[in-house]
Amino acid sequence: MSEPTLFRAAMLGTGLALALMGGAMAGEYNLSVDPVEIDTGEFSRSGIGFNGASPGPVLRFREGEEVTINVTNNLDQDTSVHWHGLILPYQQDGVPKISYPGIAPGETFTYRFPITQSGTYWFHSHSGFQEPDGAYGAIIIEPEGREPYRYDREYVIQLADAHPHSGDRIMRNLKMMPDYYNRQQRTLLDFFDDAEAKGVDAALRDRGDWGDMRMMPTDIEDLQGFTPLINGKGPEQNWTGLFRPGERVRLRFINSSAMTYFDIRIPGLKLTVVQADGNDVQPVVVDEFRIAVAETYDVIVQPTENRAYTILGESMGRTALARGTLAPREGMAAAVPALRQPPLLTIGDMAGHGGMDHGSMDHAAMGHGSAPKGEVDHAAMGHGSAPKGEIDHAAMGHGMARAGDDPVDPFYAPGSGLRPEAANGGKFLSYADLKAQKPLYEHRAATREIELKLTGNMERYIWSINGVKYADAEPIRLTYGERVRFKFVNTTMMTHPMHLHGMWSILDNGSGKWNPVKHVISVAPATTVYMETEVDAPGQWAFHCHLSYHADSGMFRKVVVEGGPDTASAASGMKSGG
Amino acid sequence: MSTQTRLRAWALAFAIASVPSLALAAGDHAHGHGDGPEIGQPGNAADISRTISIIMRDNLYEPESLKVREGETVRFTIINRGEFVHEFNIGTATMHAAHQEEMMGMMESGVLEPDRINHEKMDHGGHGMKHDDPNSVLLEPGQSGEIIWRFPDHATLEFACNVPGHYQSGMVGRIQLSH
Repeated sequence: MSEPTLFRAAMLGTGLALALMGGAMAGEYNLSVDPVEIDTGEFSRSGIGFNGASPGPVLRFREGEEVTINVTNNLDQDTSVHWHGLILPYQQDGVPKISYPGIAPGETFTYRFPITQSGTYWFHSHSGFQEPDGAYGAIIIEPEGREPYRYDREYVIQLADAHPHSGDRIMRNLKMMPDYYNRQQRTLLDFFDDAEAKGVDAALRDRGDWGDMRMMPTDIEDLQGFTPLINGKGPEQNWTGLFRPGERVRLRFINSSAMTYFDIRIPGLKLTVVQADGNDVQPVVVDEFRIAVAETYDVIVQPTENRAYTILGESMGRTALARGTLAPREGMAAAVPALRQPPLLTIGDMAGHGGMDHGSMDHAAMGHGSAPKGEVDHAAMGHGSAPKGEIDHAAMGHGMARAGDDPVDPFYAPGSGLRPEAANGGKFLSYADLKAQKPLYEHRAATREIELKLTGNMERYIWSINGVKYADAEPIRLTYGERVRFKFVNTTMMTHPMHLHGMWSILDNGSGKWNPVKHVISVAPATTVYMETEVDAPGQWAFHCHLSYHADSGMFRKVVVEGGPDTASAASGMKSGG
Repeated sequence: MSTQTRLRAWALAFAIASVPSLALAAGDHAHGHGDGPEIGQPGNAADISRTISIIMRDNLYEPESLKVREGETVRFTIINRGEFVHEFNIGTATMHAAHQEEMMGMMESGVLEPDRINHEKMDHGGHGMKHDDPNSVLLEPGQSGEIIWRFPDHATLEFACNVPGHYQSGMVGRIQLSH
């Protein structure tokens, strides 16, 4: 049976689909979008959830299953549900104005799609700021075959950054004053410290550079003052997962934060990373890892002692600490270390601004803020020109883990203040460590390259791509069957987790045929990162920075995939929607 | 530091670090009286009581655990049906942990790639790089190997793959010794 026929059959109803497909599984699920109360232990507020709670339920599917999901909107505003990382017909992707009109108050929309993958994913509203307001949940898809690892029990660890303000209010405040939520601003006293440390001239020059950039060294988290949650529980509420000593425990980390990256560790345990963004990776043992907004990482731990272990998630800017516990019994707790010192952005992180030429500066040799102004000639650097000294990750990835070398993570700018280090001095996961366990596609050369400069105007809180915000932009047009190499050039000083819907993002980390297959590619300040996409899904898709307030302010594109065998049937499938 | 120099430096460090475990595996143990843990010794073909076939996949063994008798001599025929390099290694948990560090070094130095063993680099890497301990085989995809092993009377043993990350993701099984 051809694929389009199958697809139409599925659309006729699951019963008929079952008969036609000879025993495929089918499952029906009901999800309501509801106003809920959110209690973080530090504050309570009204928010949005699923089936009466935030986070929503864990949806558990099986690979090969045909799912029917009835989503009922109990809000007094439009809503939507996007299945983050799932490969499905575009009309089922849940993005208002791109996949479908959305779901009006009081209405039920019925999603129907086949589950063609396995792993850890999540779902969230793609309307307004409903996701920051609590509308998120987890998806676990069990594979058809045996997984390349074993575990005795598993837990979802879903992180979020619950804020006492509503998303709408946060956006208004950021637009009015972009540093509204930055509580770590450099003060006059810091200036005196700097002046004492490096002399008044240098300190003044440093301030001048940052001022030109409309940024500050502390611009790591736009949004502070939130309470980090693990599975809906704040640090004091201490989400706890039980284990018997000696068991292997699979932890499915999902970062459902609106804006916050977390550095995750469990003091006393090694973390064996076995999956990233739902796809198995060759297992890598680490002490700590950074999870970008919207990413997932599955790790296996094996606690052997009869004691509690703390799950720690320090926000990247070190303004907040997510905390949970693994313990043999309820009510146990382990030590909770204090937050480490907040990092400061450096001149290295600034290098991408305006396409600075990496080749002309020795960042490694430069102390923080010590660059003489004359050497960094912003005026001489054209915005449009590719920096000739640009970092080639493909070439650097291989040299990365050589014994005896100072570990330099090629996914951060040279001299970057953001480069993470493990709290215990051990191994911190790098993108360069991720290698696909079973590559989904044949490795082949890309058929063309598309450059996307990640751009922003911090002063007006406008985030954009190639200097154009979403409202003013033409869609990115791709052709079915091509393999596109996206070149992300981050000219801003913030880190952007870029998320393409509907098709996989193959991160070029220099591993060739083992390049990992992801759905979010995090791009650190002043770096250039490449990802490749096999254009195999017709229709139209969203492509955006997954930081909620960056996406909303314009770092967003519509992608249109033209051609392809399924276009006609996919369009006819639209009717089945609610 | 050039790659070659680095490799040599590493190999030297490795050789020093791995002396105790090599001594345990190939030295004292073969004679059955040492201070370290007892794991058995290479067996004689004439003493083989049975053959157990082990299939290695990504990243698991079939069977998942083993039962042998005290003092029994077993022939293991091992085949790698996976797409990655795997190891079958008989030892204690402590020995495996030490060996994992060694194999991490092999991976970092390029001797061990996900789906192949770089024999040229291995041959130049000194004794420790050769991975020729009698209690283990390291196989590329599709390869097979054999171990004849005489088990001791008392021991807490595991068979394990010490390719980085494989043990931790569950590629390890218990060897139960019975009377």
